[in-house]
Amino acid sequence: MSEELAFLAATALAIVRALPITLVLSLSSAIGASMLAAVLVAAQQTRIGRPLAHVWIFVFRGTPLLLQMFMVYYGVAALGPIRHGVLWPLFRDPLFCAWLALTCCCSAYIAEVLRAALAAVPTGQIEAAKACGMGRGTRVRRVIMPQMLRLALPAYGNELVMLIKSTSLASTITVVDVTGVAQLVIAHSYRTIEVFCLAAAVYLALTAGLTALLRRIERGLAQ
Amino acid sequence: MTETVLRVRGITKSFGARAVLRGIDLDAHRGDVIAILGGSGSGKSTFLRCLNLLELPDAGTIEIAGAAAPLVHDTQGRARIADPRALNDLRAKTAMVFQNFNLWTHMTVLDNIVAAPVHVHGVPRAEAADRAQALLEKVGMAGFAAHWPRQLSGGQQQRVAIARALATDPDLMLFDEPTSALDPERVREVLDLMRALADEGRTMLIVTHEMAFARDVSTRVVHVRDGVIESMGPPALMFGADASPVFRAFLSH
Repeated sequence: MSEELAFLAATALAIVRALPITLVLSLSSAIGASMLAAVLVAAQQTRIGRPLAHVWIFVFRGTPLLLQMFMVYYGVAALGPIRHGVLWPLFRDPLFCAWLALTCCCSAYIAEVLRAALAAVPTGQIEAAKACGMGRGTRVRRVIMPQMLRLALPAYGNELVMLIKSTSLASTITVVDVTGVAQLVIAHSYRTIEVFCLAAAVYLALTAGLTALLRRIERGLAQ
Repeated sequence: MTETVLRVRGITKSFGARAVLRGIDLDAHRGDVIAILGGSGSGKSTFLRCLNLLELPDAGTIEIAGAAAPLVHDTQGRARIADPRALNDLRAKTAMVFQNFNLWTHMTVLDNIVAAPVHVHGVPRAEAADRAQALLEKVGMAGFAAHWPRQLSGGQQQRVAIARALATDPDLMLFDEPTSALDPERVREVLDLMRALADEGRTMLIVTHEMAFARDVSTRVVHVRDGVIESMGPPALMFGADASPVFRAFLSH
């Protein structure tokens, strides 16, 4: 029994040590994907950008994230110009490859969330801004964006929760994140269920924290 | 001799195959309070929305306080804006009060009122806020500066919307059925306020169904029917014995 407890404690410690990797990957991907999604939605408003954004979303939403990671880490890295170019230090790093795949994939989903929110901003709110002489930039900054962000928040929160869980796929391309550590421990100990449970608990804590934070923001914006 | 604030010539507008406006001319001088009456679908709201180019007329010219609307028409007759900056300048001379208030729901009452002065006219925020407080007092909403629009009744929201419209001291105020979305007991408070604005010499175009208000407050009544001005004149004439039979028939509905 005490041996069991000692094993669990050691495993928990190892998993928590890997938490920064999962956090860094989640946070950086969330920032990258959100910024890219904003660019995609802005592009959709132009004649040239619309088809490009459409193709981007079509491809990254329609293919598995796991394959995207494999393609970046094993595929792109095998290309000569990458392998021998200035970008090699980046593509050699599995964490960077995981970040790139997550950013591209999630940007497609978040762009769809933002697009739907933009379409849901009431016409009257925009007309009131036009009627008093606000130019396009002022309208976007003062009226459309704040309204849009409030409308987007619940679905956007969902995407962030999905993103956090999706970071576990990075373990398949040798990133030693929470899931990666769990697999290493299992490979040594042959104990499966308790290790996976510990790892799952970490993700649960992360997503629960995020959900609580989002709910607070939502309540604050509900005025 | 009074200054011409609005000069409209030959406005037409179609939605698809349906001709909503079929040639409207109208002048307004400073201090005019023009009530625009007509049945639903007559084109009166579309006409009002053409004046600040929320709808682009297919033909015709608009001039507000000496500035021409920057409209051009391509070879197929489709209207477009020639110069976005001129469009914004033109709109900044006007203010619109909407049927559904359209207060910005993410801003407090105060922020709604200072938005145009600060972000369109470049007035310092403190100065705009002082003026906003005075306007709130004027519309009977002193003490509501920190409230959010959704905390207010319809009548209160519309009075704030009128304060917002006044905040830029517009040359021309456009009212698009300002009392149509209100409970009957709230209509009075908004109409009383509009009457006070008329008394202080504001130039107002009001699309409305409030016949008594049109008769008592306006300087001119315009009857729009099937996209043209069917008849027009001072209320004493329009509501008198010599009124156009068509307008009389409209009134008797």
